[in-house]
Amino acid sequence: MTARASSEITVGEMLRRHGISRRGFIKYCSAAASAMALPPSMGVAMAEQLRNAPRPSVVYLSFQECTGCLESLTRSFAPTIENLIFNIISLDYDDTLMAAAGDAAESARNKAMQDNFGKYVLLVDGSVPTGAGGGYCTAGGRSAVDTLREAAKGAAAIVCVGTCSAFGGIPFADPNPTGAWPVTAIVGDKPIINVSGCPPIPEVITGTLLQFVTTGKVPDLDEHLRPKVFFGNTIHDRCYRRPFFDEGKFAKSFDDEGARNGWCLYELGCKGPTTYNACATLKWNGGTSFPIESGHGCLGCSEPGFWDKGSFYAAQSAAAWGKAGEAAPLQVLKLTAAAAAAGAVLGTASAGVGRLRQHRGEQDAVDRESKGD
Amino acid sequence: MSTPAAGVPASLAPAENRSREARVAGAMSGFAQEIGALSAFRLESCIHCGICADACHFYIATEDPQYTPIWKVEPFKQAYKREASAFAPLFRLLGLKREVTAEQLAQWQHLLFDSCNMCGRCSLICPMGIDVAALIEQGRHAMFDAGLAPKELYLKAQHQRATGQPESSAEPYREQLLAIGERFGVQIPLDRPEADVMLCVPRTDIEHYPAAVAALARVMQHVGAKCTFRSDGLVAENYGYYAGGKDWQREISRRLIDQAIACKAQILLVPECGHAYAALRWEAADLYGKPLPFKVLQVTEYLAAQLQAGRLQLKATAVGAATFQDPCESARKGGINDAPRALMRAMGIELHEMKNHGGFSFCCGGGGGVLDIERAAPLRYRTMENKLREIDDTGAATFLTSCSDCRRTFDDARAHFDWQKTPHSLLELVADNLIGAGSPA
Amino acid sequence: MDLLGFARGPALKVAIAIFCLGVAWRIVGFGLLRIRRDLNKPRAPIAKYLVGGLVAVGSRSWPHREFIGRTGAGEALGYSYHLGLFAVVLLFGPHIAFLGSLFGITWPGLPSSLITVISVLTLTLFVAVLFRRVTNPVMRMLSNFDDYFSWLVTMLVLVTGLAATAHFGAAYQTLLALHILSVDLLLVWFPFGKLMHAFYIFPSRALNGAILARKGATS
Repeated sequence: MTARASSEITVGEMLRRHGISRRGFIKYCSAAASAMALPPSMGVAMAEQLRNAPRPSVVYLSFQECTGCLESLTRSFAPTIENLIFNIISLDYDDTLMAAAGDAAESARNKAMQDNFGKYVLLVDGSVPTGAGGGYCTAGGRSAVDTLREAAKGAAAIVCVGTCSAFGGIPFADPNPTGAWPVTAIVGDKPIINVSGCPPIPEVITGTLLQFVTTGKVPDLDEHLRPKVFFGNTIHDRCYRRPFFDEGKFAKSFDDEGARNGWCLYELGCKGPTTYNACATLKWNGGTSFPIESGHGCLGCSEPGFWDKGSFYAAQSAAAWGKAGEAAPLQVLKLTAAAAAAGAVLGTASAGVGRLRQHRGEQDAVDRESKGD
Repeated sequence: MSTPAAGVPASLAPAENRSREARVAGAMSGFAQEIGALSAFRLESCIHCGICADACHFYIATEDPQYTPIWKVEPFKQAYKREASAFAPLFRLLGLKREVTAEQLAQWQHLLFDSCNMCGRCSLICPMGIDVAALIEQGRHAMFDAGLAPKELYLKAQHQRATGQPESSAEPYREQLLAIGERFGVQIPLDRPEADVMLCVPRTDIEHYPAAVAALARVMQHVGAKCTFRSDGLVAENYGYYAGGKDWQREISRRLIDQAIACKAQILLVPECGHAYAALRWEAADLYGKPLPFKVLQVTEYLAAQLQAGRLQLKATAVGAATFQDPCESARKGGINDAPRALMRAMGIELHEMKNHGGFSFCCGGGGGVLDIERAAPLRYRTMENKLREIDDTGAATFLTSCSDCRRTFDDARAHFDWQKTPHSLLELVADNLIGAGSPA
Repeated sequence: MDLLGFARGPALKVAIAIFCLGVAWRIVGFGLLRIRRDLNKPRAPIAKYLVGGLVAVGSRSWPHREFIGRTGAGEALGYSYHLGLFAVVLLFGPHIAFLGSLFGITWPGLPSSLITVISVLTLTLFVAVLFRRVTNPVMRMLSNFDDYFSWLVTMLVLVTGLAATAHFGAAYQTLLALHILSVDLLLVWFPFGKLMHAFYIFPSRALNGAILARKGATS
């Protein structure tokens, strides 16, 4: 990591120093472009742009997080090229990765933010607690809220890495003791891109970053501010087990015959139909597998409120009855019996009213007859 | 709702002159009396599929949707929903169901009386299993209470209730009955103090088909039944039933019931008349308030039993091919289907069934009192066209029935349509083919 | 709480409660009206007319031979879309899971693609049925708000279900939420309109069939 101003060394210079040919770099960029469904020509443009670009400054802030997102980012599988992405950007601050600590680290950040004011990309992971005056997450004596607000001021764009910063994630789940909020609840006036997932797929993080850094533009986003290129389809729509769903072949329990035959995990609670992410296509560990392929249903971790929406093991279409999100037949029985009993009481009352009116009607007739009407 | 019924005759011809308010009040209290859990269930079950129209010959002949059977009870349904249904208090509070109006009642008189034979065919087709005919009967009760029974039916019911005869006659029926006996040379048992079987007679037969009256007496003599007519309970028809006046229907039935009890009869024998059977067999006990202490049998089912017991001896008749009109009230609604056929088989008749026969037979067109309603005649004739065609299509030369009102209706049609067939009485045919009987007059 | 959570959670609870309350109210409300005993002697022994009632439950599902010419097509149309609805509601995997979560029992279903085909057919028939109701003079005269609203409420369930399966028109969560909300609406409307015929049909056929069989009348 270097703390030198990013304008000093171009990307092309860095590449050359690492023995990466121009051809090789263009190939990588073309691959990345096609992964984002951009035209191949973009790959060349990206490569040229990157080579001649001063390395953009990136500040990575971590708040209430488990560091899983950063771990995911660094688990990029094609080592040399993707590590180079780190060298394409100037990662001016990351409290986990950087060698410096304490005042030195903080002043490095402040200088980077000052020198690149209005131009740096702010990466955020972890939710932002507001409880106890922000005291649940402090670094260097300053609360996460304050740090975020300050850092946001000079950012060209904010990329929320992971569900916690994008939607509040696990700290945000009921009962949310720290008063955690997503970044969008704290910052309103900057372009925000949510790269959600718990954690997000490495290539999704790098691909999004790469697109912004090369084009300077925010990609097409869905209503949750997630890049449509990665979050435009549901897991269900791209799942290799979909034919089993369509045929109605569901695993009923883990390790039953259906499960061992790789049948659809819908009835075991897979949230694939309502989860937008690239897991079914890009997969994890360089395309090795993803949860469903490993035999466990999708948890829906890239969706807002996925933890509270639970249950992880009740089918998607199951009625959500109580806090746990499970409908117990006994509860249903009690409700229906109580409602039916109440209805029966009302019915008895209305039958009584009806009979009374009938009786009065008959009395009227008798009276009229005796009066000779 | 409340779409005005098209083609309603301008003259209402209601039986009584009443104020609009009195009419509505009368109808509403009439509906109130009729609504019970069973009729409520029937009214609730209607899903507006309109299939009942396809069973009703008034709709089939005219393709006029107002003759849809369940539509005939629309005011009844409306009143039920507003007054007695589960959500009635809410409907009234929120004004979601309107009150039945005098105008509606006036329009519906035509639908409930002129265009319904009470034949019960609609009850066979409803996919929800609703007995639509039963609802129509209840609707008539309410119309009667509103003073909207058609004049012809009302006056006859009133007269019958008072005197035992639907209309006055030059000679009382009692005398006419005895005269028939003399004319046809058959003994008329009258006013015996005790008998096993009490007889009664359709006044239509007394007036128009005296041979049938004689046939009844003759056949009863043949089977050796200890039977009697009773002067104070002679007439089988019940105009209270037609007019929708339940109390009058009760009083008219009471004559026969009281006389049957008085002569300690085991059986009250209903002659060839459809609605008389329905009124006595399936309604009288309810009106009377307790089970009847005697059996009610229609003459064909009685004779079929006698045939099986060997007491009725019949010879083959020369009639050959014949077709048979099942009276709606005794066959489809009453449950008597096999008996007339057993009698015809015993006489060697080659029965050619109509396309719609037995329980699915179309009404003659005169049932439910429609024959008596003058202004209904044009509509009645339209429904009869199909019926006459069906009869002719059987290719049978002889046309038999066991209901005197059916006979009258078909005789009326002969004149109107210049129709070639004559309706004959099955009872008369039986009487003409008794083995060991004297030669018929 | 998002729309889907609301639809599946509190809205569904309330809808089921209103459904049970309304159905019980309506049935008890008329069931407790006067019952008249029939004092006329039955023609058949009681066993026979109870059997007659049971027979009517099935026999009324298809018109008698004499009526088929006039009424067969319309009845076939009506039954067909009912069969389609039952198939879709009861034999689609996610629906079975839903009902299973409520009642604790599940059963095998049909392949989802077949269900989609059935749904589309049912939808077509359902539109045809409205067309018929509006153009047939008898049905047009008989029809009221209840008939059209009940049709609409059912149609919404069908349409939103197909849209959700096809991911057509909005995000899947939204479509699914709309579908479940439309079911909630159907449950709430159910006791107040003609949809109650679902509860009435077999008892009505049985009761009226038994009463006719008691007389030996044609049924």
